[in-house]
Amino acid sequence: MLSLARGMLGRVDPDTAGLWPRASALLACRALETTMHRLWERRTLDLQGRSMRVQLICLRTYLGDADLAARAGHAWSALSRACHHHPYELAPTAAELRGWLSVVEELIQKAD
Amino acid sequence: MDPGLRRIVLARLEADGSLGDGWGDLVLGALEGHDGLEAQLAGSSASPRPLAAPASPAPAGAFLRSVAVEGFRGIGRAQTLEVAPGPGLTLVVGRNGSGKSSFAEGLEVLLTGDSLRWKERAAVWRDGWRNLHHPAASLSATFLVEGEPQPCVVSRRWEGEAAFEVAEVAVALPGRPKRDLDSLGWTAALRTHRPFLSYNELGSLLDEGPSKLYDALSSILGLEDLVEAQGALQEARRSREKALKDATEGRGRLLERLREVDDERARRVMAAIEGKEWDLGAVEAVLGAAGSAPAGTAEAEVLRAIASLEPPDPARVAEAVAEMREAAAALTFAESTPAARSRDAAKLLELALAFHAAHGDGDCPVCGQELALDRAWDKRQRAVMARLREAAREAEAAHERAEAARRRWEDLAILKGEALQRASEVGLDLRELVAALEVWVRAQSIEDLGNLADHVESASGPLRKAVLRLREAARAKLERREDAWRPVVAEVAGWLAGARDAAQGAVHLKRLKPAEAWLKKAAAGIRDDRFGPIAEKAAGIWERLRQQSHVELGRIQLTGDGTRRRVVLDVTVDGVAGAALGVMSQGELHSLALSLFVPRATLPESPFRFIVIDDPVQSMDPARVDGLARVLESASADRQVVVFTHDDRLPEAVRRLDIAAEILEVTRREGSVVELRRSLDPVGRYLEDALAVAGTAGLPSSAAAHVVPGLCRLALEATCMEVVRRRRLTRGEAHAAVERTLSEAGHLSGLAALALFDDVERGGEVLERLQREAGASLADAFRRCDESGEIPPEAAVDLVRLASKLTAWLRGLS
Repeated sequence: MLSLARGMLGRVDPDTAGLWPRASALLACRALETTMHRLWERRTLDLQGRSMRVQLICLRTYLGDADLAARAGHAWSALSRACHHHPYELAPTAAELRGWLSVVEELIQKAD
Repeated sequence: MDPGLRRIVLARLEADGSLGDGWGDLVLGALEGHDGLEAQLAGSSASPRPLAAPASPAPAGAFLRSVAVEGFRGIGRAQTLEVAPGPGLTLVVGRNGSGKSSFAEGLEVLLTGDSLRWKERAAVWRDGWRNLHHPAASLSATFLVEGEPQPCVVSRRWEGEAAFEVAEVAVALPGRPKRDLDSLGWTAALRTHRPFLSYNELGSLLDEGPSKLYDALSSILGLEDLVEAQGALQEARRSREKALKDATEGRGRLLERLREVDDERARRVMAAIEGKEWDLGAVEAVLGAAGSAPAGTAEAEVLRAIASLEPPDPARVAEAVAEMREAAAALTFAESTPAARSRDAAKLLELALAFHAAHGDGDCPVCGQELALDRAWDKRQRAVMARLREAAREAEAAHERAEAARRRWEDLAILKGEALQRASEVGLDLRELVAALEVWVRAQSIEDLGNLADHVESASGPLRKAVLRLREAARAKLERREDAWRPVVAEVAGWLAGARDAAQGAVHLKRLKPAEAWLKKAAAGIRDDRFGPIAEKAAGIWERLRQQSHVELGRIQLTGDGTRRRVVLDVTVDGVAGAALGVMSQGELHSLALSLFVPRATLPESPFRFIVIDDPVQSMDPARVDGLARVLESASADRQVVVFTHDDRLPEAVRRLDIAAEILEVTRREGSVVELRRSLDPVGRYLEDALAVAGTAGLPSSAAAHVVPGLCRLALEATCMEVVRRRRLTRGEAHAAVERTLSEAGHLSGLAALALFDDVERGGEVLERLQREAGASLADAFRRCDESGEIPPEAAVDLVRLASKLTAWLRGLS
């Protein structure tokens, strides 16, 4: 999912012209959520059903990397914002997406 | 010079009957700038060009068809922005950094060679014009010009690493040779009817004090040429007034200086310039005589005459004295010889023959012999007398020589009496000379030649000395005079040059002053004429833009000139006549700038049928954006309006207010790959995107599984917002309140609650009502979108179809 999202940023593809920012954000958001899910599974914690807000607060404690947890929180709220329609806001830029994607990537590595 | 403006000035001059007044041509000269004015003043320019310059036809209007940008600013690979070439509104929407402004700047740079937004900035800003991701750099734009069947392509290319200023610019019409940019005839219009306006300009237009604002507005009016012409006249007047002032002050100093110089020339110069009118010709005459023989000054003439007196020359004196002595000796010798006796006898016979001739024959009166005198005697004695005369000639010669020698003293000293008589007038001491002369002239009464020789010999020495001394005194006096005068000459000459200019300038001033006064009045008149309609239009635009602003704008006036020029904005806050710009918010200032820009850029005399506005909405609140959309709509009735904007506020307003507009989206991938696509409204856009992802073979099916529900949810959210916004704004709610409600509603369920029940708290009832009124399948689609979970890839297309139906249903809610 993540590499798919990343691929959309750099590759020129008429099929995804214009739609890649939202699509990429959706994929990244989903990847982040899935990663969190996997993280709780590995630690046999029953947090999957809780709201993302709760999960992110717990992440600070269980990840053992407060900085990454904070950045993951930021990335999630930004991605989530990009995945919902907000008045007058345009889709995120490639640079913004790249930053969020790298946070998700880091989290995946940490989770495994 | 803007020919239109020139025509107006000519017409006014003609109407005022001022052309024949001797200064009307100065006004016309000033319109051509400083050089033109000076040429008129110097009389070297043929006076007024034909009055009835044919009115130039309205310029052929140009519409923009496309702008292509490559390797410039935010755009790497070549990308072309195409717009419908005709009146209408085009919005280009893209996030900051998406490259949209690169199109706006690209067009400006293409046509003007520069960009106003860089002008005031550091070099680093300008140096970043190249796109780092792309090796080549070029800009081009295609225009449709009225009356030209073929499109006109303007291009600007940079070779290799060429600097920004070094570009190859060409204008091409198919089947015609390439021409340069000026051939379009847009150069002046780009300044006067500038069809570009960026956010920075909007901000800076009103930031910089009343005189800067005046300049900005009068540049909007395209009256810089008049301001320059006034400047040229003012400068010409000032330079001449200064020359006059300098010459007058210099005259004072010169007079003081001349008073110290005891010289007739100095007195003549003083006489020439002491009065109010300076006789510079007389001054020049005095100066012209300097160096060569100064003519006409009696004193100098006397001195020069005396200085040229010749004293007795000792060699000639010696020669004359020697001759006198020799002649004297010869005379003494001749008198002691028979020749002298013969001469005396001849004299005696001459007397006797005369006696006989007078008294006839008779006795000799000397010896008494009777009848001694008769005819025979007469005959005999005549022969004797001839012989005697012959013998006497030698003695005669000696006498004549003595007489000649005597007269030679007179030639030894020829002194001009007239000059000497006036010598005392010029302050020379003549006593020694007079004494020497008195001795010298005694020679007249000396009979004896030998004595005369002695006298001349002894008296010539003192006379020579006296003459030499007098001559020396005269020469010294002359020298002193010149020494005193010579430096003054330089001063007088130096002053004269300036005074000539000043005198010329005084003549010029008589024409410059009325010309300047007339142009000042005329410029104010032209300004009011030109600004009137613009001010009116601007006020109209402001009225639309101001929305709930408390600031009311009355008359906008440009007044004063020179350092007193300023803009008077008749601003009222809550009905109270207020200060001015200080009370206005940034958004209001921008609106005001925009109010002034749009009328100017859409004046009929502009050749541009397009206007390009870069990010006008940045500091506007939503209500003002509605006003802006309306303003743009009316401007686009007969103009091509291209607006670049960084968020969806303006497009949203345009869609909601149902304003005809073409909306383009700009996105930029990594590596400065900029993409453009036609934009639908957000709902249509999301649905189309979802369908594209669902049905794209090129994407892995997992993408569809994850992305499609999300995109559908975005579509539904956007639909709900649209419905809520339309309903509440129609109801008269304030923009800000509506926006607050929408953002507080959160995600889909809250928005749907607002859309369905107009109550954000009733999210729990949404599905139920959908099932009841929209049907089970649409309700199910809503649920799946809201959850946005993974779906089987094969269900993706179906979900988009259902979501699309659901948006239509939602839009049907009132």
